Amino acid sequence: MPVGLSLSGVSRHFDGRGGRVAALSDVSLEVAPGAFTALIGPSGCGKSTLLRLAVGLDLPDAGRVSVGGLSPAEAARKGLTGIAFQDAALLPWRSVEDNIALPFDVLRRPHDRARIADLIALVGLSGFEKSLPGELSGGMRQRVAIARALVNSPEMLFLDEPFGALDQILRRQMNVELQRIWMESRTTTLLVTHGIDEAIFLADRVVVMAARPGRIARVIDIPFPRPRRAELFGTPEFAALEAEIAGALDGH
Amino acid sequence: MAIRAIIALVLWEVVGRLGLVAGGALPAPSAIAIRFWADRGDYPMHVWATMQGAGIGFLIGNLVAVLAGVLFAVSPVAARLARGVNIAIFALPAIAIAPILTLMTTGMTPRVILAALGCYFVTMTATVTGITQTDARMRDVVRAYGGGRMASLRLVELRSAVPQILGALRIAAPAAVLGSILAEFGGGGRFGLGAYLIGSLGRADPARLWGIGLAATLLAGIGYAVFAVIAQRMTASTVAVTVAATPPAGEVDGPVWQRIALAAGSVLLPFALWWALIAASGAPAMIAKTPMALLDYLMLPNKAGERIWDALAQTLPITAVGIALGLGFAFALALGSVLRPGIVRAFMPVALVTQTMPLVALTPLLVLIFGRGPSVILWITVSVTFFPAFVTMAQGLQMVARSALDVPRAYGASAWTVLRLVSIPASAPYVFAALRLAVPRALLGVMTAEWLATGTGLGNLLNQSRGYLDYGMIWTVAVLSVLLSVFFYQVVVWIERRVLARLGMTTAA
Repeated sequence: MPVGLSLSGVSRHFDGRGGRVAALSDVSLEVAPGAFTALIGPSGCGKSTLLRLAVGLDLPDAGRVSVGGLSPAEAARKGLTGIAFQDAALLPWRSVEDNIALPFDVLRRPHDRARIADLIALVGLSGFEKSLPGELSGGMRQRVAIARALVNSPEMLFLDEPFGALDQILRRQMNVELQRIWMESRTTTLLVTHGIDEAIFLADRVVVMAARPGRIARVIDIPFPRPRRAELFGTPEFAALEAEIAGALDGH
Repeated sequence: MAIRAIIALVLWEVVGRLGLVAGGALPAPSAIAIRFWADRGDYPMHVWATMQGAGIGFLIGNLVAVLAGVLFAVSPVAARLARGVNIAIFALPAIAIAPILTLMTTGMTPRVILAALGCYFVTMTATVTGITQTDARMRDVVRAYGGGRMASLRLVELRSAVPQILGALRIAAPAAVLGSILAEFGGGGRFGLGAYLIGSLGRADPARLWGIGLAATLLAGIGYAVFAVIAQRMTASTVAVTVAATPPAGEVDGPVWQRIALAAGSVLLPFALWWALIAASGAPAMIAKTPMALLDYLMLPNKAGERIWDALAQTLPITAVGIALGLGFAFALALGSVLRPGIVRAFMPVALVTQTMPLVALTPLLVLIFGRGPSVILWITVSVTFFPAFVTMAQGLQMVARSALDVPRAYGASAWTVLRLVSIPASAPYVFAALRLAVPRALLGVMTAEWLATGTGLGNLLNQSRGYLDYGMIWTVAVLSVLLSVFFYQVVVWIERRVLARLGMTTAA
């Protein structure tokens, strides 16, 4: 069963040379089980901070974060969460299948060979099981990272700008593939991105954040039915939503 | 390349045959080869003995170094506490403690310990650097799945430190050979290349000395090559061959009293270890001197202080001159290579090859050529300081951004102006790094030369005291030379911090 993510009254600040920076100020957000939510905002709006809090890599100064009713660290130790970072973050000395198996090693679970093989097929990397990350293209590495994020059948999936380092053409292809993969698992997903089109194409709901202090500016629902096709990018409805989100990013 | 090597070999043959260098001190290659063939029965046991000492020391030293490196990477407090011990191990002139090791232990042990000490620092610092420089995103992946520090070490950090550690093992291999040979110089023993070299020094047989020297160089070079190949296989990129001269900092943010306590602990820990090792060894108090016993010895009316002052007055000036010359040449050549990049191309291979040579172990060969006067000390000191200093400075200057050099050029600056405005200021961190590296090496070179050749200074005092069974003096000279080396190292660090802070630069390796 997919679980939900809940942030209530979360604040996090950092002390720097220029004084105190409020990375997040009193942020509340509910992500329903099974929903695909995109988080978008200008750099410095605290979206990465929010994700680090939700994954348990950082702790809030105030407020509460829970994943399926547990603290993020507990949820992670129970293997409820999966994560893919920007730039893949693969271990260069591990083959594709061993990289995908890494969460099993951390969680001290036996390697589920069949699951790994299924995921490799799902992300279209059959035949590359024994390849090292250095032998793969950027897009292939990113698919390995997605497969790794899914390997422990997580109830809650975090994607931190997973296609940020790819070019526009490859990104569109990966968006279509990610939707296909997501529709098979229907895992609760939080996608952090700075691509407006990517957010609209993939999400049920787009959360627009603003900076100084980091806060949620607007939440916009995306009505398009699934499966969404690549042609959707060119429709007037899509363009209208893009304009609305761009406006929200500018503070309207 | 091959043609140049052949020309050099032919020239060497001619020079050797005609006895042009110091009345035949440089024999022809063919003469060395013939002598080597005649001595072929002797070599296996000597090579084997040195290999044994160096090999066991290499294993133990690197094992301890990796474990210590992991500890220091995980715990800044441990790194801070061990700073004193680490600097002492880095700075100690191995020849100075060889007699003590021979007194306190038997058989292979002195060789093993000196070989292990030779490996420790370089591998320990590489382990710490490798672990702390692990890609933070890889660590985050492990932490995001609830993995703690141990899981991160096991799955990510140790493995990602492997290229650094292998890079260090390359340098540690020749260091282990040198350590074993120095122990053989300082502690007798029948077999081993060092013992063979010392034993053959008395006979006027340059060809044999050269044969032994080349064998020692070859042994060290093979050790280097083996790990260079392994490192190459395991990693696509190679790590720069500069020797680290900075212990892990172990920056601890805490209240002032805590930092003072750690600093004091770091100074006291080496002495506590000294004490504990003596207590553990159970050696008789007459031979094994504790710090207190040493103070008592110095209070005796035996003119010990006077003799030490005399020895210092001989050793220190020539060490300083040697460092100044070695670093001066290295600096000039490194700067010259900015104007003429050809210098680096021609010279860097030679300088890198010397990193695989146990230079100090070749002291007897230099004695042969330059005689037993003070000039031999200078030659040794300059040669052990020049090469690593040149490598450090030349590699540092190559890191200066092209664009930084192009800006003054774009305004029509001459080559000299570019040097003055950009290259010389930019080289400051590397000059200091080279100086930190040079101080202990110079002292080791000078003391070895004094011991083996000139009969002056601290090295000679050590050798004489060995003959007189003057245990107090052996300990005093050993401890004093380590303290001196650490003291000068710290002086360099102190000046370096102030100068670099003013220039807004950070410390280089």
